[in-house]
Amino acid sequence: MSKTIMTVDDSASIRQMVGFTLKKEGYSVVEAVDGKDALSKLKGPIHMVITDLNMPNMDGIELIRNIRAQAAYKFIPIIMLTTESQAGKKQEGKTAGATGWIVKPFKPEQLIAVVQKVLR
Amino acid sequence: MAGDDIHRQAFREEADELLMELEASLLELEAQPGNAELINKVFRAMHTLKGSGAMFGFDDIAVFTHDVESVFDRVRNGEITITKRLLDLTLGSCDHIKWLLETPDAANEAENKGPELLAGFRSFLPGQEPQGAPGGTDDAAAPQQELEKVESIYRIRFRPDPMIFSSGSNPALFIEDLGEIGACKAFLYMDKVPPLDEIDPFLCYVWWDVLLRSSERVEEIQDIFAFVEDQCELVIEPIAREDEACESLISKKLGEILVERGDIDPEILNSALSSQKRLGDILTSAGIVSEHQVESALAEQQAAKEFKDRRAPQTPAAASSSIRISAEKLDLLVDLVGELVIVQAQIKQAVAKSGDVFLNSLSEQLERLSDDLRDSTLGIRMLPIGATFNKFRRLVRDLSAELGKEIELVTSGEETELDKTVIERLGDPLVHLLRNSIDHGIESPDERQAKGKPRAGVVSLSAEHSGGEVIIRIADDGAGMDPGRIRAKAVERGLIAPDAELSDKDVYSLIFLPGFSTAEKVTSVSGRGVGMDVVKRAIDQLRGGVEIDSQRDKGSVISIRLPLTLVIINGLQIRIGEEHYVIPLSIVEECVGLSRHGGPADQSQIINLRGESVPFIRLREWFEIEGTPPSIEQIVITSVDGMRVGLVVDNVIGEHQTVIKSLGRIYRDVEGLSGATIKGDGSMALILDVPGLLRAINEQPATYREN
Amino acid sequence: MSDQNVLNDNQYLTFTLERELFALNIVSVREVLELTNITKVPRTPKFIRGVINLRGRAVPVVDLRMKFGMGKTERTVNTCIIIVEVELDGEAAVLGALADSVQEVYEMEASQIEPAPRMGARIKAEFIRGMGKSGEQFIIILDINKVFSAEELAAAFDPQPAGESREA
Repeated sequence: MSKTIMTVDDSASIRQMVGFTLKKEGYSVVEAVDGKDALSKLKGPIHMVITDLNMPNMDGIELIRNIRAQAAYKFIPIIMLTTESQAGKKQEGKTAGATGWIVKPFKPEQLIAVVQKVLR
Repeated sequence: MAGDDIHRQAFREEADELLMELEASLLELEAQPGNAELINKVFRAMHTLKGSGAMFGFDDIAVFTHDVESVFDRVRNGEITITKRLLDLTLGSCDHIKWLLETPDAANEAENKGPELLAGFRSFLPGQEPQGAPGGTDDAAAPQQELEKVESIYRIRFRPDPMIFSSGSNPALFIEDLGEIGACKAFLYMDKVPPLDEIDPFLCYVWWDVLLRSSERVEEIQDIFAFVEDQCELVIEPIAREDEACESLISKKLGEILVERGDIDPEILNSALSSQKRLGDILTSAGIVSEHQVESALAEQQAAKEFKDRRAPQTPAAASSSIRISAEKLDLLVDLVGELVIVQAQIKQAVAKSGDVFLNSLSEQLERLSDDLRDSTLGIRMLPIGATFNKFRRLVRDLSAELGKEIELVTSGEETELDKTVIERLGDPLVHLLRNSIDHGIESPDERQAKGKPRAGVVSLSAEHSGGEVIIRIADDGAGMDPGRIRAKAVERGLIAPDAELSDKDVYSLIFLPGFSTAEKVTSVSGRGVGMDVVKRAIDQLRGGVEIDSQRDKGSVISIRLPLTLVIINGLQIRIGEEHYVIPLSIVEECVGLSRHGGPADQSQIINLRGESVPFIRLREWFEIEGTPPSIEQIVITSVDGMRVGLVVDNVIGEHQTVIKSLGRIYRDVEGLSGATIKGDGSMALILDVPGLLRAINEQPATYREN
Repeated sequence: MSDQNVLNDNQYLTFTLERELFALNIVSVREVLELTNITKVPRTPKFIRGVINLRGRAVPVVDLRMKFGMGKTERTVNTCIIIVEVELDGEAAVLGALADSVQEVYEMEASQIEPAPRMGARIKAEFIRGMGKSGEQFIIILDINKVFSAEELAAAFDPQPAGESREA
């Protein structure tokens, strides 16, 4: 079966781009608009999460902590989308349990390379 | 890529919305300047405009919003207070962003308010130099120094932090990644693994020494570990370069290497050398280094030697040559290897029972050998799919002539290899799908022209590896599918309820149901209402899956996922009564216990799995196996075409690599079984074909319920 | 059968089902095995008892007694599986047949074999190639290709495989 990846971002265009790129690679995609929405959709087979950090309602760091607190998703890869100006956030995210990061802006190929690096 | 335009459009729409919200927030802020929630909203809007703008090529917007964002970051942190001037500036920048969105690249400089506005914002950011576009330009900015790529041998020690799993990282993947940039020899150290009852499965106990021969530089190797650099001990040392004499290295003694690696002290080396035995044995028996460490160091010597040999001029005999052998001989070889794997598994079982250490090590060697033999034998069966693709050129040409359409067939990934049998059995389904794309997908040239598309349609056929599978895609730039029409048809045919809630994807997959056809005009090519279900079935039999994605007037993509081989699968062995079955591991998601709480009257056949209702099937009943089930049964949760179904069994035995045997002519039509395999005791276990099983059950629901 | 140097048309392997004596032409017999574990294949006709592992191949085993309406073959020390080769739709297929016991290789000239009785026997006449005799006992010589013809097997699966197995 194809792997399912959840993409969390408050920016519709980034969600669309990430979703489009992943689907083109054969992954199934679940979209969420912020941390809260992501947690409510976190059930069943989710094999990986790609999340933005800066979001309303619940930010990415809080989301990562919450995901790691659930036994079923304790070890799934979580990739955060950061910007250069958030160097500190990157460390915060790692501490919360993120697997890796992608720096915005990125190209679809870079996204796929990172997904393939952590999800096999 | 084709996606660019839609993404840019999506960003424009998103930006319009954001700007509207932004304006509203700014106006509210004017009334309540201390409202943190509003300040946050403004910051986030700027942040999104910056990040997403840069993603989709709106660099002007990204550059411009960077400073605005920085100012609001400070406002957020209480360093700057909201003033009328700041609000005016920000409202002005909303207009400016709008202008940037709407004005094409060659903008009228006179209208450009950007510099003026930025100057205003910078006055809030003391001591800050004007900044360029944030991030992203690193690659372009630093002109890549075209370093000459020289092949070197690296010694890499990778000791992951025991807690590494908690960040979702799988350390073994990094070793795999190393294998992708060069020839790689990895030594796994398990000396820190505690006895079984003390193992904490959440901790990583193992570490690696890797010898890598690669032309990448140290930095590139470090990059592989970038995500875990703070969660591991990583040492990368180049130990030889191709352009250097590596004589010294070859002559390097085992002892020197061990000392260099810090595995032993020089004094220990000296005292050990005074004795006559082989150094490795001495150090091992003295318990100073593990056998493994010695082995690893010896491999380093060996690698250096090989390296030198490689540099010697290649003799003509080394040129690659090939021979032709008959497919029959190959099948026989594969059968024999299959036998061997089974016997090896039996030996392993017997030896494990005996507890004999010597036999155990022999059995482990045998396992390694037979695994290698299996892999290389199966490798021989792999053929590139290109030949099959080429066969379709004629088909496409003839069909387009027949239908009066102009079609170009584009293929890619011809070199992708698949098992010979898979390729053979894939031909018919592919022909059918291609016909379908050409017949229903691609419009007539006039129709296309009317839609503003080129007269000639493009059908593309591609293959690529993805994990342990191959994905084959048939894409066309035709009319796409109409979910509404498919839905209406499915309702009309009674395939779905009129109020069924289905996503577009679910709707598309309805065309795989038996007896479905949307063609309003039956042509000689397709549209007879048979076929797509046959395609689906053929792909199921290859243990693959098929999925459709479509966009109105943009075209459709049909993706077929296939296993690399049909000879061996990873299976989960289960037991019901005295009968053993194997479920392909690729579809298994998890196993959960099921207690018979409701008694026999409980006919719900649905389990609540973390809030999701998952239907289940009692295999014991469906298979009519005699006897009573245990009080606690197991449910194996499988996922078939995105739908989850539980299979109730007595007991889950474990994971086995399974050599698939055909059940032969007589059982050809039995649904729900895809073959048999030989168990450790020599008897057979049947392999379940879960999609087929579900089909069979759905086809006769009444009889099943009577049970 | 290794002691048979020449395989000719006159040799038959005799075996028993219940108390009756049957025979198969030696040409179609591959080997005789002791009864081993038979893996049931669910939702298939009961007279096909399942599959066995014959040197790595899955070989279906047919219960001849059930096929001939004589009740299920019970496991005894004498129970054997006769491995036969038949032609199914022009393809050679290997099958196992359960027998209560295997007797001997018996030679019969064509002249000693009488045509099958039209009626009376509980076995379909078309399955019988002829009747031989050993002393006073009749030997029913089976036409194995007819017993295991594609039609016979297909009929067993159609139209309601599940229903049939339930009744059997």
